[in-house]
Amino acid sequence: MILYDYVLSASCYKVRLMAALLGKALTLHAVNFHPGREHKSAEMLALNPQGTLPVLTDGDTVLTDSADILRHLTVDQPEWHTEEDERWLAFASDLNNSLGLARLHDVIGYEAVIDTARAAGVMALRKLEAHLTEQRFDGLIFLTGKAPTIADIACFPNTALAPDGGVSLDPYPSIRLWMRAIRSLPGFIEMPGIHRLHELAHPA
Amino acid sequence: MDWVAVALTEDVPAGVVIPSRIEDTDLAIWCAPSGRYHAWSDRCPHRGMRLSHGFVRGETLACIYHGWQYRENGSCDYIPAHPKLTPPSTICVPTYACTEADGVVWVSLHQTDSAMPDMGGRQPVRSMPINLSASDLAAHFGAEDFTTIAVVSDHDVLFAVQPCTDSACVIHALASPDADRSSVSRWLEDLRATLEGVPA
Ligand SMILES: N[C@@H](CCC(=O)N[C@@H](CS)C(=O)NCC(=O)O)C(=O)O
Ligand code: FES
Repeated sequence: MILYDYVLSASCYKVRLMAALLGKALTLHAVNFHPGREHKSAEMLALNPQGTLPVLTDGDTVLTDSADILRHLTVDQPEWHTEEDERWLAFASDLNNSLGLARLHDVIGYEAVIDTARAAGVMALRKLEAHLTEQRFDGLIFLTGKAPTIADIACFPNTALAPDGGVSLDPYPSIRLWMRAIRSLPGFIEMPGIHRLHELAHPA
Repeated sequence: MDWVAVALTEDVPAGVVIPSRIEDTDLAIWCAPSGRYHAWSDRCPHRGMRLSHGFVRGETLACIYHGWQYRENGSCDYIPAHPKLTPPSTICVPTYACTEADGVVWVSLHQTDSAMPDMGGRQPVRSMPINLSASDLAAHFGAEDFTTIAVVSDHDVLFAVQPCTDSACVIHALASPDADRSSVSRWLEDLRATLEGVPA
């Protein structure tokens, strides 16, 4: 399996994280998204006419949507699925279009109506917090139950990276404990801006 | 202003540090493995990194930046770059009075002999930020002071309010012990939507 990857992309990180948690090997093909705009190159457009990342190829199969890629990686692993996942995979797109957009605006100068993106991001975080709070009342820490599923992996990156887009995570205790639970999963990997638990950042 | 609620205890389990604030004072609230709660200034004495980004290691709080570790009394215990050095006692994080009662973490920014506010046997439900100042929230419910606001409601709700900015506070909500917490949580969401004047 080859992942066409950009290290700072939250959507690509979903795929790298999922594979790491499953212990599945991915061959990473780095795409110079910024500043190279290599995702819009002829070679990449031939693979994915929408010109977005991530793209995963597995033999003849080409997948161009992170939710589809998460489903594909876990196809033989029912423990990573519940009936509630679909709703949260859709919610993960909302996160990408609000928090994710605000972050790309702040980090690499993407065009966005920044106040609108941030306000939508805050509304999404409030929804997530309300749901995770009710889950905790039932003794459940993850989005759809006691164990993580693809729903959690899809929603985690853009949530955890919200501060990079100017949206604070300080006021959300249930989101904080949920992120902590994900960061402590065996096999968890980092990306710039998302640390594993109890790891010292390197002194400057 | 004596005791101010800054969190519910179940949101800050042992080994966890969180960022918080009371008006202009930024705080790192943490719970040691011993179960004791601490409220510290959220600036590392070394280079000013937010201590709330750090982590609890043993009975100390460690800064995420260069790993300086601070004991429960705020004094510096260990500097990784100088492992043999006993840090001078002048290196110390400013600490505030902090204690837990009725499932709520309370902080006072100054020395106080006052008793903790009475929660009347209610159970903690959740903490919820709202874009409204603490005094405007109190005024809305006709309360004289925002420290605690009893709300006439189905669930016998009580708010312990944490003032943050001119336009934001956090409601730490408690309710009758037999209330269904999810129902109270949804009621709170609706209340916030009404008070902020935006549709739910
Ligand atoms: N539907 C895609 C969206 C992912 C996405 O937003 N990718 C960004 C990079 S993080 C992108 O490729 N943007 C380029 C563009 O939209 O032209 C997915 O989740 O897989
Ligand atoms: S800033 Fe905290 S250890 Fe250096």
